[in-house]
Amino acid sequence: MSSRGSRPDDEYVLNECVKHLSRAGDPPPAGDEDAASAFRSRVAEAWRFPMIGLPRGVPVDTSASAESQGNTSGPENLVTFVYKARPGDRTEVAVLGTFATLFDPLPLREVLFDGEDTGYRALSFTVPAGQVHTYKFRVGSRFVLDPVNPQRERTGDGRLWSRFFTEGYLQPLILELWELRLLYRLVEQILPFRTAEAENFLRRYYFGLDKAARNSAVPAAFRLDESVGEVNAIDKLLAREEAHRLADYRVCLKQIDRVLRLRNSATDPYEMPASDYIDLYTDMASGGPIAGWDYAAYGNPAFFIALLRRHAVTTAFSHPKYAGNVGAAGWAYLSERYVDPVKRETLFDWPAALERPLGTSDYYR
Amino acid sequence: MQDRFDVVIIGSGAGGAPIANRLALKGKSVLVLEKGPHLRPHYQLPGKRSDFRRDELYASGPEKVLRVPGVANAGESYYGSHAEPDLNDEPHVYRGADGRDRATIEGYTAQLVGGGTQLYGGVSLRFTPTDLKLKTFNTGRAGLKGDPAGDVEREARDWPVEYSELEPFYKLAEELVGINGTSANQQKPFAGGDGYQPPLTPNPISRYAHDGMVALGRRLGSDVLPYRAPLAVITRDHAPSGREVPRTAAGVPDPEAARTSFVNRYGDPLGLKSNTWVAFLSPVADRENFTLLANCVATRLSSAGDRVTRVHYLDPAGAERAVEGRYVVVACSAIESVRLLQLSARQDANFSRRINHNDLLGRYFLTHCFGGARALVPGRFDKSKALDADWATDCCATDAFLRAEGLWAGGAIYNNTSDQALPLSLFRTHGSQDLDTLWKGFAGDAAMRADGFIDFLDREFGRGLSVSFMANQVPQRENRVGLHPSVVDKWGRPSAYVVKTWHPHDEYLMRVLAEQCAEVLRAGVRASDPGYDIERRGAGGLSWGGIYQAENALARMANHILGGARFGGDEADSVLDPTCRAWRLDNLYVTDGSFMPTSGGGNPTLTIQANALRVAEHLLARL
Repeated sequence: MSSRGSRPDDEYVLNECVKHLSRAGDPPPAGDEDAASAFRSRVAEAWRFPMIGLPRGVPVDTSASAESQGNTSGPENLVTFVYKARPGDRTEVAVLGTFATLFDPLPLREVLFDGEDTGYRALSFTVPAGQVHTYKFRVGSRFVLDPVNPQRERTGDGRLWSRFFTEGYLQPLILELWELRLLYRLVEQILPFRTAEAENFLRRYYFGLDKAARNSAVPAAFRLDESVGEVNAIDKLLAREEAHRLADYRVCLKQIDRVLRLRNSATDPYEMPASDYIDLYTDMASGGPIAGWDYAAYGNPAFFIALLRRHAVTTAFSHPKYAGNVGAAGWAYLSERYVDPVKRETLFDWPAALERPLGTSDYYR
Repeated sequence: MQDRFDVVIIGSGAGGAPIANRLALKGKSVLVLEKGPHLRPHYQLPGKRSDFRRDELYASGPEKVLRVPGVANAGESYYGSHAEPDLNDEPHVYRGADGRDRATIEGYTAQLVGGGTQLYGGVSLRFTPTDLKLKTFNTGRAGLKGDPAGDVEREARDWPVEYSELEPFYKLAEELVGINGTSANQQKPFAGGDGYQPPLTPNPISRYAHDGMVALGRRLGSDVLPYRAPLAVITRDHAPSGREVPRTAAGVPDPEAARTSFVNRYGDPLGLKSNTWVAFLSPVADRENFTLLANCVATRLSSAGDRVTRVHYLDPAGAERAVEGRYVVVACSAIESVRLLQLSARQDANFSRRINHNDLLGRYFLTHCFGGARALVPGRFDKSKALDADWATDCCATDAFLRAEGLWAGGAIYNNTSDQALPLSLFRTHGSQDLDTLWKGFAGDAAMRADGFIDFLDREFGRGLSVSFMANQVPQRENRVGLHPSVVDKWGRPSAYVVKTWHPHDEYLMRVLAEQCAEVLRAGVRASDPGYDIERRGAGGLSWGGIYQAENALARMANHILGGARFGGDEADSVLDPTCRAWRLDNLYVTDGSFMPTSGGGNPTLTIQANALRVAEHLLARL
């Protein structure tokens, strides 16, 4: 981890920032949370900040697999903090956070265009994949939350910090355990991984992963022996890219828990037979009335099913950096299932297109 | 910073980059303004870490919710590429069939250096000579179907350039862009030869398309045979751009590195897809007389007399700047180019008088008649190793076919090989084939779960084959791009407002061509597996149709956004003269797809590039 930060090249910052942050009006004054909230609400993809990318420049060792938090020898992200000021505003902006030293704010650098100040201030750090951190900006003498990044975390002392996580973070971040358990049972009714054949595949697949990958993936992912980590990845999706859907989950999981208990008072929902979940899933999808569902709180259960279906497959089959499809198990399931009967070659040779270490292409990184 | 140039070009895509290349190579000072970022392939970055990733969420990312005030679809979900503008920030609005306005992501060309060519599938077809002479072809014709009011004869226009004039520029574009394909069997003259590199071997699933196209030519009586679809992907080292095919560890060129279904809607980390950055701009990027400003949005042109005097833009900080060009080329995709000209006219009475002298700016907006057929084929194939198309046929573009079917114009037919090849693309396009309705089919198909999900995968994965047509749309005066009266972008500038309908003849044409596509699939499967019931296999069996049938038919544009500033030989009847110069603004040129008076019978990018090379020659003569 680079504790002092590095100056990102100006073009890189502008390429990632201008589309999102450049717009009419001045940026919010430092520390004005109302103004920051109003500004943030107009930024279509505020979740992209701080910028989480791949290290640029000198190659790192790509043969290593994901390592657990604290181990710096694994894959890394380039985390670039960006603060938007008015061009020419000379107030110093610095960042401090758990990824570096908490007592020593590090100043962001001016981002220039044509030799002139753009108002963007930026600083990059190399941070291992699979980590979560909190940070604040210091603007002049004030410590403020990142006005763009919507992710916040209340620390033990009750104070709010801005938060980010790097690729492949495998711990639950925002959903509570009971919510995760319920979600796991719901999602397993959708995805194709609960057949005996699929479960066998997953066990074999995870067992076959190299040691470093297995240490990283298997213990961390919730019920990974019977899934590809999609519930954990949904948790990440709700923490960042689709935080606007967190309310749907919060409200609906509560309702689902209540309805399941009404229908089967003898069993904890997590232990209920699949048929209980399938019945409720079917009722919700059909749009028919569901006894015990509070329609004033959430009027369209079918919408939630549609949302859940999209999230389930997206997380199970998207790139593992999004924290689902752990070890590319979702893709591997497809490539093992679909094989040329004569040549015995897979009919989904996904590694060929992807760079190492996930794929086998040596042609780019 | 230098603020005077020989030529200022707005937009770095197909209409602008070829001009920048030719002029810069001749020592002219060139500035290219590009609204979007500058993302590069691996070999142009230290450590070979490309700005593009083979990641399905790059093509259509997480859900966003439309918040544009006043549109009927506010609150609905949408999904965009990382390289497309955000719909909330920069809405495009169209008028729906119910008369209500909606925002749409259809027709949004990617905004980054390279423009739409960074994400396109790369199908690079020439138009036919008849495509450029549709007024002549249809004048006095009897037997045209679906046109009771005689709109076709009244509205069709010949291009002010003949195919023979364009042909050398087609060849030059093929050579400079870097296109693989074959010309034999194409129903266009290749008197000077073609500029193609050899194609890769087709994906095995495409044999059904090939056999079906052979059978279709035979059935139609023309015996027109298929050819390898020209694709803007290099398969050999490409001297004009300095690009090289990757080498294996043994140093052997490996053109198979290009074969991936991360092609349509993906930037290419290897730079083998021939976008206009790698093909045209990168080769001149180090010249002192060439300047590229990314993340800079042109806001208006100002004028004095018959000249554009300044190009105003916002720099990455949002600060207003201006530059001067002896010549100004607008090429930021048809909708945005027309919008820029209209926004300029609002603030400059002289400009308005000159650009709007005949009330045609924005009118005759065009896209393509498109659609096709899809079915599940008997075998299963690894579609993840495919380019965007393998086989094409011109058997529905011959004059004889058009006369026999009562059609005003024809179109190319080709098979899509890379569609639905990857898991998420299969899911998100299940039951919804356009950008505005992604995920709706899958998310709403609640019965597809667990074993039903496996059944779906067993049925569909690696087995879907689609055959598409791309054909001319009848020009209509009322199909237009304007400025929306109330919706604005993030800068407070009026958004583009698209009003368009399909002509009854368009619907007839789409039915006829979709039926030919269906016949390709029927005959192709029958040739190798006569016992296979293609009509009923899979959930939907064989399906075919034209885009006019879609729920959002009035929004659909296939990212082929054309017309709105058509060129012609008559000042009263066109916005641009035959050199794509504004009739009454002597130094203003418009060279993206908006110059087209008819949309052509194939994907438009190669023709935009060839025409841009033609305009570059004209500009060099003036400079």
